[in-house]
Amino acid sequence: MNKKKKILLVEDEKDLKFLLKQTLVEEGYEVDEAMDGEEAFEKLKENEKPDLILLDLLLPGMDGYEFLSKIKKEHDYGSIPIVVVSNLGQEREIKKAMDLGAAGYLIKANFTLSEILEKIKSFE
Amino acid sequence: MKEQQISKIGEEQFFAIFDNLVDGLMVFDGDNNLCLINSAALKIFEINEKDILNKSIEDFSDVPLLRNLFYLLGKNIKEVFRKELDCRENLILEITSSSILQKDKRVSSLIILHNITREKQIEKTKNNFVTVSAHQLRTPLSAIRWSLERLSQSKAGKLTEEQKELLGRVSKENKRMVSVVNELLNLVKIEEGRYLYKFNSFSIEKLVQSVVEYYEELIKGKEIKFEFQVLDRKMSKVKIDAGKIEIVIRALIDNAIRYTFPGGTIKIALGSKKKEIEFSIMNTGIGIPKDQQQNIFKKFFRASNAMKMDTEGNGNQLFIARNIIEAHKGKIWFESEEDKRTIFYFNLPL
Repeated sequence: MNKKKKILLVEDEKDLKFLLKQTLVEEGYEVDEAMDGEEAFEKLKENEKPDLILLDLLLPGMDGYEFLSKIKKEHDYGSIPIVVVSNLGQEREIKKAMDLGAAGYLIKANFTLSEILEKIKSFE
Repeated sequence: MKEQQISKIGEEQFFAIFDNLVDGLMVFDGDNNLCLINSAALKIFEINEKDILNKSIEDFSDVPLLRNLFYLLGKNIKEVFRKELDCRENLILEITSSSILQKDKRVSSLIILHNITREKQIEKTKNNFVTVSAHQLRTPLSAIRWSLERLSQSKAGKLTEEQKELLGRVSKENKRMVSVVNELLNLVKIEEGRYLYKFNSFSIEKLVQSVVEYYEELIKGKEIKFEFQVLDRKMSKVKIDAGKIEIVIRALIDNAIRYTFPGGTIKIALGSKKKEIEFSIMNTGIGIPKDQQQNIFKKFFRASNAMKMDTEGNGNQLFIARNIIEAHKGKIWFESEEDKRTIFYFNLPL
């Protein structure tokens, strides 16, 4: 049996995190979660390297932008694809995240969970 | 003002009025040298009269606060109407310049400087409020959307047909709320000049076809006679922002379906002229009352008969559509007769 793909979910909204995690687990992913950028770095150091990171931008501590700019400089984690899943959706916000190295950008309210799953699969 | 009127109130009083006006005023002579400036204008530009009087408008390019005015009007002082000018931080002016003619020859130019900083600040606060609220609304809307999706996939237990139907209705309303939020954000972007465009070569025929397919069910459901005609055998591709033009086509088709009575007709035609392609959509139905036609592309406007027929909609679709078409250097217009038909047209340069 193939090894389960691992996703680190960085999201502070409990309900959204619960729904996303449930969907991902059902699809056979192993999901690790973090509330903000700092916790995400802790999880990266504690656990096995994920295959993909789903990242919200507005987070209580270290926000998504700061996390993106920091992780891209880290030798060990810089190559992990990061898909932003946020409700910020202005062109300048999308551009900023993409310029910082995000591999994709999804506006939560405009996508269903199935559509998000499809996007995730396209990064495998 | 007629000379007799000036002599009636007296020259001194006339200049006192000129000087005490709230708006800034500047008068340039036929050689584009500044010959008159009032106190409000001096205050706006933080300058002394002696330092600026009799100077040519071209000299303004050396004065930081006046430089933008020179760039706007040019060395021949072109006519402008209510053009916004960012003068410095916390100072936004609305500039109007008009030529004063004598025997068809320009003898002087009058520049009116109207301070709109406060209005702009209020607009900014309002736009910020809308942006923040819209973003705040998106989070619970996403949670509702995703929860409904899981429920309808029977992830939380098998559903009866009735439950499925009810869930379908809630999902539809949830999507509608997401569209309203997105539309509000688009309005703010348009107002702030941040509605960005990415132009690519695209087949407009395919684009129209895909939107038509999306609405097929709805058209059938209302038993509308529908026709989509491509007038040229081979339509050229157009340089457009396909996502944005799709918003326009959707808005026009959506409106046509909404305001056509069951059993009515909708005809879409797509053709090309010399250097442009033209899209038109005709629908029989309620039409637009003549006295309200001038407002149809305004924000938050819905015609009275449209509101009676259908309470949905916030009246911004055509405002957004016009902005999108104009950003493509195209034109959007319509012909309408109340209780008969409406035809909307837009063209895009090839």
